[in-house]
Amino acid sequence: MVDSSILTKKFQKEMNAGIASLVLLTVVDKSNKPMYGYQIARLLEEYSGDTSFMKQGALYPVLHSLENSGLLESKVEPSVSGPPRRYYEITAEGRETLVIWQGVWKQMKSFVDRAIKGG
Amino acid sequence: MIKSVEEYLELLKTELQDSDAATVQDALSDAEEHLRAALTSLREKQPEASEEEALTQVIDQYGSPEETASAYVEVERRTSPQLARPVANNESLLARFFGVYVDVRAWGSLLYMLIAFVTGIFYFTWAVTGLSLSVSFALFIFGLPFALLFFLSVRGLALLEGRLVESLLGVRMPRRPLFTQQNLKWIERLKELAIDRHTWFSILYMFIQFTLGTIYFVLFVTVLSFSLSFIAIPIVQEWSGMGAIYNNGIRYFFPIWSYPLLIVGGLILWTTFMNLARGVGQLHGRMAKSLLVIDS
Repeated sequence: MVDSSILTKKFQKEMNAGIASLVLLTVVDKSNKPMYGYQIARLLEEYSGDTSFMKQGALYPVLHSLENSGLLESKVEPSVSGPPRRYYEITAEGRETLVIWQGVWKQMKSFVDRAIKGG
Repeated sequence: MIKSVEEYLELLKTELQDSDAATVQDALSDAEEHLRAALTSLREKQPEASEEEALTQVIDQYGSPEETASAYVEVERRTSPQLARPVANNESLLARFFGVYVDVRAWGSLLYMLIAFVTGIFYFTWAVTGLSLSVSFALFIFGLPFALLFFLSVRGLALLEGRLVESLLGVRMPRRPLFTQQNLKWIERLKELAIDRHTWFSILYMFIQFTLGTIYFVLFVTVLSFSLSFIAIPIVQEWSGMGAIYNNGIRYFFPIWSYPLLIVGGLILWTTFMNLARGVGQLHGRMAKSLLVIDS
């Protein structure tokens, strides 16, 4: 029993690795103004409902890596309460990439669905 | 049971002790930003929840220090800094020598060597003025607040220099300001900064940058003018009809057969310098990292 939950966790983590980038890029793209980390995390929480797919802390390194590859850009702005916040916005390159990624995801999704259904 | 955001950050720092110092700094700023924002919003929704309950709830969603640390390690392993792409090793020596023209890092280093001249002078002036005024104002009541402001400015400059080093030299540096405790009195803050190795290393870097910046600039200008002169000699001699060397009222001509040699020589000199600049840039980046980034 314990083993299967560990395996499930591992499976979830491996799946999340690619999907997190796609989801984050989509969320930032849909928003009409720059978003900071906590806002993004809250929005994802709404989408995921009761099941949590990944810890909020794991979103930030993905945001950094998207920024590093030039798909997102960010700026730091002071906040009324607490430390300054980093606001993320999608770049033109990010939008182009996102279209391709969403295509990949659709193909992948229908492939997996068909494999599970077995016909 | 974690009782405060500070405690969480300490634990996260311990978890990340084997990671790149720049990653640690990013992880700490992200966690602080998120946890404080989440706490504020939770308190608005559930004013009756105790501080500890609220924090437990927030951390449960954010992830334990171990979970957060492993997420950073995982992503860091997959991505390297923008410019640090490995150079293909299967090319011939000649291709690698001239390949320097398409290497972003070489151009970045060149630009950095020019900028270092300006930043070096500025850092030096700032450090000398700040240090000497801090010492002499110590006699007066406003001496200590002045020293605090100076130390804080050093931190800020270290971060800015880090951004410059990462974008031009491709060496991973912190992207976020260093985490500091929020609830300290200013005098404790000053004490903390004054005994922090990082503050003094940053000031040392500001002094070193002055010398290095000057050397870089002189080298850059000298090699550039020599290379350009070599390449220009044939053109100048043929167009103006005058010898390129003028000494004691006599003009000396370079013979026509030497023109190709001069042009090739000028190109090789400049290409060698570009290769050298790329190496110097990497060394400078490593030095900046060891002086400006805290090892936990």
